[in-house]
Amino acid sequence: MSAQARRAGGAATRYAILTVVSAVLLAPLVFMVSIALSSDQTTRESSFTFLPTEFEFGNFVTAFTSDLPIGRFLVNSTVIVVVSCIGMTFSSALVAYGFARLRAPGKGLMFAVLLSTMMIPAEVLLIPQFILFRNLGWIDTLLPIIVPNFFANAYNVFLMRQFITRIPGELDEAAMLDGLGHFGLFRKIIMPLMKPILVAVAIFTFTFNWGYFFGPLIYLNSEEKMPLALGIQVLSATSSGAQSPPWNLVMVGALILILPMVAVYHFGQKYLYEAGLVSGSAGLK
Amino acid sequence: MAIVATPARRRAGSRFRRRETWLFYAFVSPWIVGFVVFTAIPMIASLGLSFTDWDSFSTPRFIGFDNYLELFTEDPLFWPALGHTLYFAAVSVPLSLLIALFLANLLSRPMRGARFFRTVIYIPALVPLVASAMIFRWLLAPQTGPVNGFLALFGIEGPAWLLDEDWVIPAIILLSLWQVGAGTILLIAALQGVPPELYEAARIDGASRAQRFWRISVPLVTPILFFNLITGMIAAFQVFSQVYVLTDGTSGPSNASLMLVPYVYDNAFRYYHMGYASALAWVLFVIIMIFSVGVLRSSRGWVFYETEVRR
Repeated sequence: MSAQARRAGGAATRYAILTVVSAVLLAPLVFMVSIALSSDQTTRESSFTFLPTEFEFGNFVTAFTSDLPIGRFLVNSTVIVVVSCIGMTFSSALVAYGFARLRAPGKGLMFAVLLSTMMIPAEVLLIPQFILFRNLGWIDTLLPIIVPNFFANAYNVFLMRQFITRIPGELDEAAMLDGLGHFGLFRKIIMPLMKPILVAVAIFTFTFNWGYFFGPLIYLNSEEKMPLALGIQVLSATSSGAQSPPWNLVMVGALILILPMVAVYHFGQKYLYEAGLVSGSAGLK
Repeated sequence: MAIVATPARRRAGSRFRRRETWLFYAFVSPWIVGFVVFTAIPMIASLGLSFTDWDSFSTPRFIGFDNYLELFTEDPLFWPALGHTLYFAAVSVPLSLLIALFLANLLSRPMRGARFFRTVIYIPALVPLVASAMIFRWLLAPQTGPVNGFLALFGIEGPAWLLDEDWVIPAIILLSLWQVGAGTILLIAALQGVPPELYEAARIDGASRAQRFWRISVPLVTPILFFNLITGMIAAFQVFSQVYVLTDGTSGPSNASLMLVPYVYDNAFRYYHMGYASALAWVLFVIIMIFSVGVLRSSRGWVFYETEVRR
């Protein structure tokens, strides 16, 4: 067999493997859409088919108009994510600027402490944090989930600090000569230049909080306070009621949980690339 | 201009220095406050609590090492929980790495449709765990699920998956493999960064494709493999959401899928054994540290950094 024929054979094998892998990876999503489009009758009988045979697009409306609080869940998720993203990007940027551009005794030690906090598993802090929030009267509110985002995060501070140190220092000097102080320099010069990394951190914060399950599970009791990730789990819990869960509407909720994730990565890719967080041409484009 | 450190100038300099110090702490203050309130104090408190018997309402009762003793010697669920967690981590993490490496190798070479395949492989990794676990409950349904339906085409009678003691953890592993895309993307980028001259030289020397893969590609991407290994391992030890959703908030048939973090959760928020749960969390922390240090130590033997060669 000639080298060319062998290469063509190799390419065919490669396409065959990738097609099978793609089919296997997409299958769960196809099934999810099929369940989301099933009628209530099919849902009660749990007789879902892998490929959609019913097309109840009305489920996407019913999910919001029925007495199920899916619309409420979506509002809560949005509030959590928007406020958390604002808090996290601003607080982390401030802290990162301090570590990147200012000198002070104790800075090296503090940076070492900051980095080492990345290794602490959340479970170790969980119980005292729970007690703290309970004493503050924050149980069954969104505050325990949102507020910690306003106090920066080691990983994000680290990424932002790396980014700021790559911004040339001549800009600082020029700004200082123009009479800007460090706050002015930060706000007027550095922050605008940080856009890619600010967006990147916002994407990470979005990703984490949009799918965050553990915190809401612990802190929230009433359904009208729950975000989508917890809400759909509660609706699907078979232990909660005598009748079977409305799986078709639950899957509508699950799809709504997935779509913004795909959209954010699709549109945010460019910034992740500019921030130097995705090397090469890899990634979702 | 001659720079002479007159006393006046030095004083001005130190005033400037002091102002900078003050500013540094102003900028960093959000993290300092957060660190003290949400990390340092809780860490000390949870270590202290692990030596107490506490229901979170009454006064904590100091009991020394009793929680730790009970955990290691009496608790019938701790060792199974640890065993299941290790089983899950030991299978899912290496398997994810191998599959990611295999797929990345297929996708790193230029080909038509590469972008499409990359996107398809990455999308499952974007699905929040709650949603993915929810769909896997239905995929793996014993009678009506498509997975067993597919197996039946080949005359294989599929297991009851989430309802079967022996198959519930493999089911959780399957879910983790579905989300192999994140690691794959990183490896594609790394493989594309391998200098083509190396492959050329090897080809001239008569190296086969397999040799080029194992002797050139793999060694050069070991830093990314190492990163994936350590983050994947830490995440595997802390598995919670997918187990909770897959098993509907239980620990599977006869506790067959009980893992460490769900066990911490049960103790803290179902039984209000706050002291005991704290001890469990610390044991988990130490286990993660031991494994991380182990992997880090071993990395000196197998992770290849290009700069070392140039030295």
